Amino acid sequence: MFCIAALLILSVLGIFSARYRSLAKDALDCVLRRVTLRPCITGFDEKMKSRILGRVINRSERAARFLNRNFELLAWVFFILVLGSTVYAARGLYLFYVTGSCNGLNQESFCVFDPKGENNEVTDISQGCKENPPTAADLTLKGVDLSRFPVCNPAGKKEIVLIGCYGCSYTRKIYAPLKELAAARGARFRFLDYPVKVSTTLSARLAECVYRRDEARYWQLNDILFAAAPEQLDDPEFAGKAAMQLGLDWGDLGGCVEDPAVQALVDRRMDEIAKTRFYGTPTVFIGNQVFVGPKPRRVYAIALDGLFYWLKGDGGSRSEGR
Amino acid sequence: MDVEAVRRDFPILEKNGADGVIYLDNACQSLRPRAVIDAINGYYLTTSACSGRSMHRLAEEVSRQLDQTRAAVASFLNASRKEEIIFTRNTTEGINLVAHALDVGEKDVILVSDKEHNSNLLPWQLLTQRTGAALGIVSSLDDNSFDLAAFEKLLDDRVKLVCLGYTSNLDGVSIPAREIVKMTHDHGALVLFDAAQAAPHRRIEVKALDVDFVAFSGHKMLGPSGTGILFGKYPLLEQMRPFMVGGGTVSSSTYEGCEFLPPPEKFEAGLHDYGGIIGLGAAVAYLQRIGFDAIERQELLLNRYLTEALRESPRIRLIGPAAPELRGGIFSFHLPGIDPHRIALMLDQMAKVMVRSGQHCVHSWFNKHSIAGSVRASAYFYNTIEEAEVFVRCLRKIEKVL
Repeated sequence: MFCIAALLILSVLGIFSARYRSLAKDALDCVLRRVTLRPCITGFDEKMKSRILGRVINRSERAARFLNRNFELLAWVFFILVLGSTVYAARGLYLFYVTGSCNGLNQESFCVFDPKGENNEVTDISQGCKENPPTAADLTLKGVDLSRFPVCNPAGKKEIVLIGCYGCSYTRKIYAPLKELAAARGARFRFLDYPVKVSTTLSARLAECVYRRDEARYWQLNDILFAAAPEQLDDPEFAGKAAMQLGLDWGDLGGCVEDPAVQALVDRRMDEIAKTRFYGTPTVFIGNQVFVGPKPRRVYAIALDGLFYWLKGDGGSRSEGR
Repeated sequence: MDVEAVRRDFPILEKNGADGVIYLDNACQSLRPRAVIDAINGYYLTTSACSGRSMHRLAEEVSRQLDQTRAAVASFLNASRKEEIIFTRNTTEGINLVAHALDVGEKDVILVSDKEHNSNLLPWQLLTQRTGAALGIVSSLDDNSFDLAAFEKLLDDRVKLVCLGYTSNLDGVSIPAREIVKMTHDHGALVLFDAAQAAPHRRIEVKALDVDFVAFSGHKMLGPSGTGILFGKYPLLEQMRPFMVGGGTVSSSTYEGCEFLPPPEKFEAGLHDYGGIIGLGAAVAYLQRIGFDAIERQELLLNRYLTEALRESPRIRLIGPAAPELRGGIFSFHLPGIDPHRIALMLDQMAKVMVRSGQHCVHSWFNKHSIAGSVRASAYFYNTIEEAEVFVRCLRKIEKVL
């Protein structure tokens, strides 16, 4: 039993140090012989036991005696612990692959593969001090009238709904990959703009006005706004240039942007978005799953097409495919 | 002898305390003093040419140094002439050389003891298989010392050669060499001593002993590994056919035959480890400077301490006679039911105490006595009482724990 536990540990250590590789090889040989009911001839377990005893005896003879007498039992305990931690580590790896967090979807506890917790970071909307702040479990699209929001690739069977804002850095991180993923996977894509940052209200109104005039140009505008520096987003001069870039008349558009009715519409949309009980951007809905924070692209792809999404082809296509 | 001063000659012993090692595996291989290392380096740094072939000054210098070493070894053994000294790779090669070069017939008998190193057993087993000769085994006494009476019983006119380990690597016991040679010669047979464990620790005077062959290695007597010596009486060497042949063994050759050089050249085929041989010369000089009296005194001091300190240990089974005077620098023991390798590994882990464990290439003895193996602590003149104390302290702990 000791050989198996040692093999697992030494294999990992062997990745980092050649010193452990030969020991891991001995352990493997020992394991292979044991599973075929042959005695271990390298003396690996004996060697390791002696080395361990040699170290322990210097500290405590009593502990060394206990270890010597109960080595097999302790090896079993050790094996179970190693097995347990291996299973736990494998689970963590799987969860990280599927959800972007070792501890499960939207779980913010420490994850060795994402030590800074970047996959769960959000731009907080000001909730104030609430007695029961919402959690990921509270998030829902039920009761939200999505028809009020622009949709890209309306013929798609599945749907990606992104709640975010132009000026939010984490939304900026995933907007383009999500839009591209939706295009590649033939899914509907809705962007629900919730200007968390006050300085992006101009962009919100501009987007609304462009959407009213030409839906195709609205998506082009989004690309421009997400590519722009955040400090430009509330700059009328930049808005004018963006309109010109889209071939729109700023004289006409500027009036729309300043129209209080447009701001009221933006506010109503924000009220509609608030029904989801979201608490930060980006929040992404795909099917029944909700993703809070900027997850790796594969996480969204798995949510759309399952664990083996890459077998269905796409290969990370960057085509717009509207 | 100032042990502390001597220790400073050995680079490996420069580290002290927890960083230093306690080397008690000298029966396997000794440490090397700086003088030997410098001599080897000197060859590669200053001459680095071949001997006995080329005529240029570097080759001449190597030839001179080799000749000097041969003369030094001859003097070390008190041989009649330096041509009786053959450079080999080790004791094993020396013994194999005799086993292949000596005329042995099917009616002959070879005698060995029951605790020979494989290097002094297997060559004779193969020889007897090859020639139809018989192999006689001289049993040891109960305390593992040599049984002269049993030996005498086996000695008859059919005995062609007696091959014995001068000092056993198993327990450090030396044989009564002078008596054995006399008794053997009285029956018209030859004597070969495997002196691998003797040459580093005691004076061997081949002329006084009248022994016919002596083989030993450089690596156990401060010399480099891959070097060894075979001494043979010159008239015997002259009669013997060469073992390995090739470059350096002949004065001339035709497509039909060749003319062999006289000993020692006819037994020294091919290019030798010149750097090693020069290093061996330095080792011999170093040993002579220290002196065997001092070496034996220090070994006895250490073995007395070990024996006394561990005498009362209830589980330690000493291999060999109880008296340390009869065991040189070797303290070989086993704990019944405990794998000796475990003890050796623990000693290493506990205090970097290096000992040998296992059957020490004397499988035949261990098989005969149904003992799995032993732990062998073998001291040399550079070991100290403090080191022996650490060994004893660790061993006592191990005995309590296992």
